[in-house]
Amino acid sequence: MNELTFSEARHLVARTGIGAEWGSIKKLEGLPRQKAVEYILNPAPSNPLPAPYLTPWNKLEPMRDAGAKTRADAWVMAQKEGQRLQGWWIEQLFRTNTPFVERMTLFWHNYFTSSIQKTLQPSLLHKQNLMLRKYALSSFRHLLREVARDPAMLVYLDGYKNVKEEPNENFARELLELFTLGHGYYTQNDVKAAAKAFTGWGVHPVSAKFHIRADQHDDSRKIFLRRAGNFNGDDIIEILLQHPRTAERVTEKFWKEFVSETNPPRKTIVNWAQQFRNSNYDIKTLMRVILNSEEFWSDRFRGTLVKSPVDLLIGTIRTIPYPRENTTEIVNLCRLLGQKLFEPPNVKGWEGGDHWISTQTLLVRASYLAKISRGNLDPRVKTGPHIRARDEKEMLEWLLAVPPLNDLPTTPGKRRLAHALLRDPAFQVT
Amino acid sequence: MDRRNFLKLAGTVSAAGLAPDLLWAAGNTPGAGNAVQHAQPRRRKLVLVRLKGGNDGLNTLIPWRDYELYKKLRPRISMPQHHKKFAANELADSGMSLNPYMNKLLPWWKADDVAWIQGVGYSNPILSHFESGDVWDMAARPGHSTQGWLSHVLPGYQNNLHGIVLGDELGPMAGKDCYAIAMKSPEVFISQVDLVERTKKAAQINNPALAHLANIQSQVVNARDELVQKMSNPRQVGQGFANSVLGRQLESVAKMIINGVSAPVYMVELDGFDTHANQLNLQNHNLSFLADALDSFATAMKKHGHWDDVLVMTYSEFGRRVLENQGGGTDHGAASVQLVMGGKVNGGIYGENPDLNHLDSQGNLPMTTDFRKVYSTVTQRWLGQANPWKQFGTIPFV
Repeated sequence: MNELTFSEARHLVARTGIGAEWGSIKKLEGLPRQKAVEYILNPAPSNPLPAPYLTPWNKLEPMRDAGAKTRADAWVMAQKEGQRLQGWWIEQLFRTNTPFVERMTLFWHNYFTSSIQKTLQPSLLHKQNLMLRKYALSSFRHLLREVARDPAMLVYLDGYKNVKEEPNENFARELLELFTLGHGYYTQNDVKAAAKAFTGWGVHPVSAKFHIRADQHDDSRKIFLRRAGNFNGDDIIEILLQHPRTAERVTEKFWKEFVSETNPPRKTIVNWAQQFRNSNYDIKTLMRVILNSEEFWSDRFRGTLVKSPVDLLIGTIRTIPYPRENTTEIVNLCRLLGQKLFEPPNVKGWEGGDHWISTQTLLVRASYLAKISRGNLDPRVKTGPHIRARDEKEMLEWLLAVPPLNDLPTTPGKRRLAHALLRDPAFQVT
Repeated sequence: MDRRNFLKLAGTVSAAGLAPDLLWAAGNTPGAGNAVQHAQPRRRKLVLVRLKGGNDGLNTLIPWRDYELYKKLRPRISMPQHHKKFAANELADSGMSLNPYMNKLLPWWKADDVAWIQGVGYSNPILSHFESGDVWDMAARPGHSTQGWLSHVLPGYQNNLHGIVLGDELGPMAGKDCYAIAMKSPEVFISQVDLVERTKKAAQINNPALAHLANIQSQVVNARDELVQKMSNPRQVGQGFANSVLGRQLESVAKMIINGVSAPVYMVELDGFDTHANQLNLQNHNLSFLADALDSFATAMKKHGHWDDVLVMTYSEFGRRVLENQGGGTDHGAASVQLVMGGKVNGGIYGENPDLNHLDSQGNLPMTTDFRKVYSTVTQRWLGQANPWKQFGTIPFV
């Protein structure tokens, strides 16, 4: 069994975590590939940081119905607490010992999007985040069932307004289009049938927990994907899980997140999706398949993912311990770079990839990297980050996924070299 | 090989590895880019002025023929009647009178260089600043597009730098298809770009992510080069300019246009229209900043022979509630007025007067001119491009 080189260990750490953390790379270097993958897949249990104070649902919601003045107050509160919540996750991303869990949570946040702007309920978004964390590596079936019951999701996609007399199709449509089958595999009648099956699913006005209002549920016979029955929401989810497209669609998203922005070979997706279904939709199994695949390790796909703003802003500091900006500033930089946590632009989530880079974001990225790595570049000066790489070769392998585009500085010194490598376009990819 | 030729080559080669729809439609095509830059024909320019916060249309153009009702709805914030200038400021025979704080625009109005479009908005109005701003920028319901409306127009218009925004947000030029730069000022931008290194091996990139980065990087560097070349020893505007933030921004735009910067679109912003309280003073002041700055800009353009090449257009995310609120202000509304000016503008007042007797369920003025009709007009009648909003028709203001 081949043992991981330094550069391979770096690839595994950077692709599954936040930044190329030196300690983690060193831990994995020399391990057999499978063993290293298991190490990543089985992180030690950890708890997220305690949440900031977030006004509970049953206090915020009535304010919206009590006139313009309190409605405006509720809006201001939601905005303020929303920023606090963004700061909470950012701190968590900086401090976590289990970056893979964060990475997976962020992945599912972008898969099952909800936004503080539409819901105006930061406390529900926080609960959703804890739910995504909990099920991030468990069964996709469980995850999907939990998402369908998640209060933030019920508000975000109007599920709570979906009642027998007035079905609301928003959640049903996205369930089919974005969460499972994808365009072209269902009809508008299927959307309608699915919406009916979910009627009555809502948020309890006091407890803010999921509850089913039986009197609002439409228990008529429905025809969904050519099957007939008195389906409820869970039945719909089961039928969707029996459709081969669901596993393929999830697998395609994993490919884009963990392997490459380029289109995946069809037979790879079919193969991975099959293994995913055979495992009864076990997410960890799918991850194991991917991380042990030739595609994941192939040189062809190295450096073909553009770093997300989170990866760039926080991952860089987790790679080299430069003095960091405060939380408010990172929240602001995330906004400028187009990745407001808990606030994706729309139900499709962040487009990612090339879309992260525009003339505007490129300059913000460049100024951020130049600023944090400026310091005193003289190696004799004691202050400044400790860089543990031995020599130039190791520096390059550590900090970049692909060779630099720019010439290296001629003046020696590791800090100077790091400063130069951070400013290289190659630093923007992983 | 000099820098310019190098970048040209680099762009061509790296772009060759991409699917055609990924090509950034910039100056890489032989003959369309740098080689002919000096002999560029005079192109039409669009200058967008964003009135941030939601500008109240009813106090911009005052319905003085409906004065009694207007005054009743707005006891504290109606324009006082002792402004006898209402009659003098009436726009044609429309019954609408220009806010007297905008009198600097009157000479331009008399010269037929100013057009007002009334009742502009969209159906089922959204009252959130951000979301309604997105509707205007993307010409799509919120969440349905991340591509600005100009990104459907400009790639066909010019194969190079599409636009310069003096501000933070690319707004109507956001998205992959537009080559636009947002900056505080050309000077600040030039110093920022020094942080970006010139990529030397861009020509050999076959990794699409890196190729994209290298392309965007060369866009930034090329824009910097152009600004350095054209603005380092610039022809001066040679006149005083309205002394306000907007005035300085428009002076910057004037300077770029006079010195032949190639971008066809410029965008500036005036903040402070979110007048929930004390509206009368706040908005009057803001409108006077606007009028003064536009007057300076128009004067500069005329003096340097560019007035026939520019179309200035204001826009705002929404108008305001008709009824005033408890704080002597107004809350978020719907339809409002848009100002267009330029040497080629057909002066006049277009669209229906606001009907104070027929408000929507929120107490707002309903839209009578779809904002996409304005975009349609600019696209087709000013920029001469294929028109994605053809079904909305055009307005003969230009």
